[in-house]
This record gives sequence, structure tokens and C-alpha cells, in this order.
Amino acid sequence: MRKKKSGPEEITASYPSPESPDESVKTGGVNLSRRKLISRVGLGATLLAIGGQAYAFVRSLVPNVLYEDPKRFKVGTLDQFSEGAKFIEDKRVFIFREKNTLHCVSATCTHLGCTVKMQRLNQPKRVNAGGREFDEQVEFACPCHGSKYYGDGTNYSGPAPRPLDHFKLEVAPEDGQLVVDTSEIVRQDFRLTV
Amino acid sequence: MATKPTVWARLKNQRATWEKIKWTWVPETNREAGDSVVRNFLLHWFPAKVTRQSLSWNYSFWLGTISAVLFLILIVTGIPLMFLYVPSVERAYLSVKDIEFTVSFGWFLRGLHRVSAHLMVAVVFLHLVRVFLAGAYKNGTAAKQNRPLNWIIGITLLLLTLLLSFTGYLLPWDQLAYWAITVGTNIASAAPVVGEQLRFFLLGGSTIDQNTLIRFYVLHCFFLPLGVLLLFSYHMWRVRKDGGLACVDQLSLEQKKENAQPIKSKTYSLLGIASGRTVHVETSIVDEDKHTVASSPNLTRRLLLVSLGTLAVSVVLTVLFRAPLEAAANPTVTPNPAKAPWYFLWLQELVTLTTFTIGGITINGALIGGIFVPGILVVAAIVWPYLDKSPVSTVGVWMARARRRQNIVFLIIVAAILVLTIVGTYLRGPYWDFYWPWQSWPTMPRKF
Repeated sequence: MRKKKSGPEEITASYPSPESPDESVKTGGVNLSRRKLISRVGLGATLLAIGGQAYAFVRSLVPNVLYEDPKRFKVGTLDQFSEGAKFIEDKRVFIFREKNTLHCVSATCTHLGCTVKMQRLNQPKRVNAGGREFDEQVEFACPCHGSKYYGDGTNYSGPAPRPLDHFKLEVAPEDGQLVVDTSEIVRQDFRLTV
Repeated sequence: MATKPTVWARLKNQRATWEKIKWTWVPETNREAGDSVVRNFLLHWFPAKVTRQSLSWNYSFWLGTISAVLFLILIVTGIPLMFLYVPSVERAYLSVKDIEFTVSFGWFLRGLHRVSAHLMVAVVFLHLVRVFLAGAYKNGTAAKQNRPLNWIIGITLLLLTLLLSFTGYLLPWDQLAYWAITVGTNIASAAPVVGEQLRFFLLGGSTIDQNTLIRFYVLHCFFLPLGVLLLFSYHMWRVRKDGGLACVDQLSLEQKKENAQPIKSKTYSLLGIASGRTVHVETSIVDEDKHTVASSPNLTRRLLLVSLGTLAVSVVLTVLFRAPLEAAANPTVTPNPAKAPWYFLWLQELVTLTTFTIGGITINGALIGGIFVPGILVVAAIVWPYLDKSPVSTVGVWMARARRRQNIVFLIIVAAILVLTIVGTYLRGPYWDFYWPWQSWPTMPRKF
């Protein structure tokens, strides 16, 4: 069968005509020859069977259980956080402490997910991020595509489309440890007062 | 004693079998030359006779053949590597280290695999450039040609080659690997609507872990090579059905002008009844004695030369440049700068340069540079043969006058990709800042 167009239908035409009215069956107002009906049912069943297998194949690759680190985790007691910024390496977050307030900034670049690096400034710098003026001690820069962020996480240069995420902070009642919840993104001005 | 002649006869029979498998490199008669192609399984995909033009070194530069040879080298070197490499996040890096430093010739296998992969990306791309500039995706005059389809298969093969490279350099699970998956799958997640689900499916979760590694491993060792093999076979089959290389069409065009012999109208082919004239019959209007030579040994000899040359170049490069291995994957520290392999650096430049803010809405460069621009390039390449209305006289002609404008546009796009690649490779330093080659990079603290 070189040519697709001259498929089975044309070849069956050389058999005694299946289109003759007395051989056809009426199904829902459509005239189908018995042969055509059966071939369509067969084809449909085959496609359905293959489709079902394909679905099972693909679905099995979508995990139902994830053995991943929890999105809510403890990062240490309050006395471990002195004034300024601290990088929690394995969790990819920065914890900031200003006197008795704390907040948490994500280290994941909003462009394509590399870990931004914190650059400590030699002296505080006065910046204006979206109308808010403040003094910053650190800035962030991404090594992958060169995005740059102010100390509050606002992007000011490079391809990053939005500021770094800020995560919710809590104090665990049982042991007084600081808890970061990365599943809950909070406003930039969120502060945990202790 | 009675068994002796039987054994001898059996051996003689074996010899006859061997005679069927091998072929002669120096046929003495036309019959012998024809038989070595027609009667031989290994050579059966060649025509018995081939035009001198399509054997020319400087029409095709044999780039397709070189790609195929490189793919063969990749399969052969990939098999022992599959025995030695362990696709687990705990052991992947160490097993690659073992391959590199303790396994006998491990460094050579890995190096050759890597060098041929790099060369394959380059050569497949050059093959595409050649086919475009020579208008070889265009149909000529013979019946039932479908070169545009073969061009699309070729583009798919280029994309598969890039995916093979991408999945391949992830496997060592070093810093390059880890951050390449991070960036690559985040580009996928920038896709409209399905982005997040796509990333989840690629990673097999929401973080890069064991599921991710095994997925890329199976893609790299099974699905993608299988896809390349199937499409490559179809690619070759189509070249035959389309009447050989495009430059052959020029011959029949010229010949029709000089003598208008009646075209043979055979309506059956070798394998049974088929409608119309076969391409084989159609192309036989090319004056065989004048323009063609026997494939064996003229084609087979050049094929052997190209294979040897490709292997030699790959081996020399392997010995000269040892394959690098970065530090083990570390999710907490992104290298600075973090660079993709050279063939993806134009994309890395693009995603860096294409974040735009329009009316308060910021569009991530990942969507524009990572998905839209490459997507538009691929779609444009696919539909191009159907938009190209240049006359049939440009088929298989390098830089034909009538195709000058589109060739210039094409070359500008190629040049832009090359420029971005060069900028990414040589002119980007820490934090992806711009540095001239003579400027030294500032020293960076390792961690923060």
C-alpha cells in the first residue's frame, strides 16, 4: 500500500457492492453499510484501547506522593539572629532582624530561580524603592542573568520581573523557634515583632 | 570419516553466507557494482547509481553524513557509559568521577561522547544552514517530491539533538547540571497556561531531586535516541523518494532543455502496483552514462572517508581537550557566573535581555526570550518552504540570485544567534555583567 488515499475503502469497492440498499442498516438516521459500521467500531475500540494505555502511561509519571522537604520549617531560636541579615543556606532564605522585628526574604530569583547572592554594603545606602525611602545594609544580585535587588527585595536592574518573595514568619509555641512558611507569601512590609 | 565432507560442505555454505554479507570495494564490472548495492542489506538504502553532483564535496559538505556518523559514535560510546553511570542523586556525580579517573579508558569514552555531542549540535545546525542557502528544501520537477516535509523532519531532528545535549549534560549532577535544570525547567514554567504543570511533570515533583534525574536519564538514553533513529531513517528514505539531493534536479532541468525525450510512463514499481510514475523512473531521465557513477565504490568510498575523518577529528579533540567536571551539585550555591553550554548561551542572553514592562505589566524574559522567540523561529522555519515562491531553477543552487533576499534575512538571523552566543561565551562575567576579554573579573566571595 504505497498510497494512503487508496486505502481499504477503495479496495472493498471491487467486492460485491456493500452500498446496495438491502444490505445497509439504518442507525440513527445515518446509512452505514454493515462492513463500514463494524470497521468503524473496530477502529474506535483500537483507538480507545491505545488511548487508555497512553493515559495510564503518562498518569503513572505524575507523582501522587512527594518525598520533599516541608514548606514550613524551623530555622533556630531567636537569640541566634543578631541585628542584620542571615542566610539560611539549605533553605534558600534570608532572615532579617531589626531590633525586635524580623522578616524573611526568599533567595530564589524571580526571573529563573537561581539563588541570589547577598552583597553587604560598606556603608548604609539610602534608596528609593517604589516610593518608599529607606537605608539598606545589603543588596542582592543573581549570578545567572544579572538581576539586582535592593535590601528589601525590590528588583531594580536586570531581567527579574518582580521583587523577591517575602515569607511568613512565626514563633513556634512549643520551643520558641522561628518558623518560616514558604507556602505563604506575604507583603513586603510584613514584620514579626518579638 | 563420513561426517567430514558434511562439515566441509557446511563451512562452504558459511562462506557463501559471508559472500552475501560483504561487498567489494573495487567492483570490476557494472554488474558487480550494481550487485553490491542491490544484493546487500547494509547498502540497500543507496541507489545503485548516483550522480556525480551529489557526491561533490563542496555542494553538501557531507554535513548530513557527518551528523549521522557522529550519532553513531554517540551510540557506541554511550553504551559502555550506560553500564558505568548510576542515575541516582547520591551516586551520579561519584560514578562520573569514577568514569573520569578510575575506569580504564573511561575518560576517553566520556570525552569522545561529549566531543561528538558538541560537534553534532554544530554540524546539524550547519546542515540546516546549508540546506537553506542552497534552496534544497524546495521541490524540483520530479513527481511526488515532498522536500518541505523532509525539511520539517530535519528541524525536528535538530531540536531532538539539542534536547539530547541538554538531557546529557544534566547527568553528571554537577553544578552545571543542577543550575541548568533549574533555569531550563523554569523557562518551561513560564509557558502560558500549562507552564506550572509542565515544570511539575518534567521534574517529577516541585523540587529538583531523584525523580528529575531518572526522568532526564530515561529521556536521554531511550526516548530521544529512539526518536532520532526513527526520524533519521525517515529522513534518509525521503531523500531517496525525493529523487536524491536537490542539486540533481538541476541536471534534469538542463537536460530537458537540450533534448525533450518522451518520459517513460511505467505504472508499476518494484514492490507492487502503485499509482503514477515512481520517482525512480522520473529521475532516470537524467542521462545515466553522462552524469552518474556506480554507488559502489564511488559513494561507499567517500562515505568511508567521511566516517574516518569524523572519527579522527573527534578522537583528536577528545585527547586534546579533557571533559570538564564541575563541583558536585549544590542547591544552596549558584556558581557565579552560571553559564549554559555554548549552544544555549544565545538563549541565556535572550532571557536576560527580554524582560519588558509595558503599562505597568512586567513580562518575564523567560516567556519572551525563552519561549516566544525560539517558538517563532521554529514555526517560521517550518512554514518557510511553503512561503518561498522562488522559481524551480533555484532548487539546489547555492545562493541563487532569485533567493538572495531570503538568504540575507536567514543569514542575519544566523549571525544574530552567533553574536549572542559569542557575547554569552566570552563577554559575560560574574553577575552576568559585561566584560571585555582584556578586562579582568573582580574576585568574588565564594558563597554569598
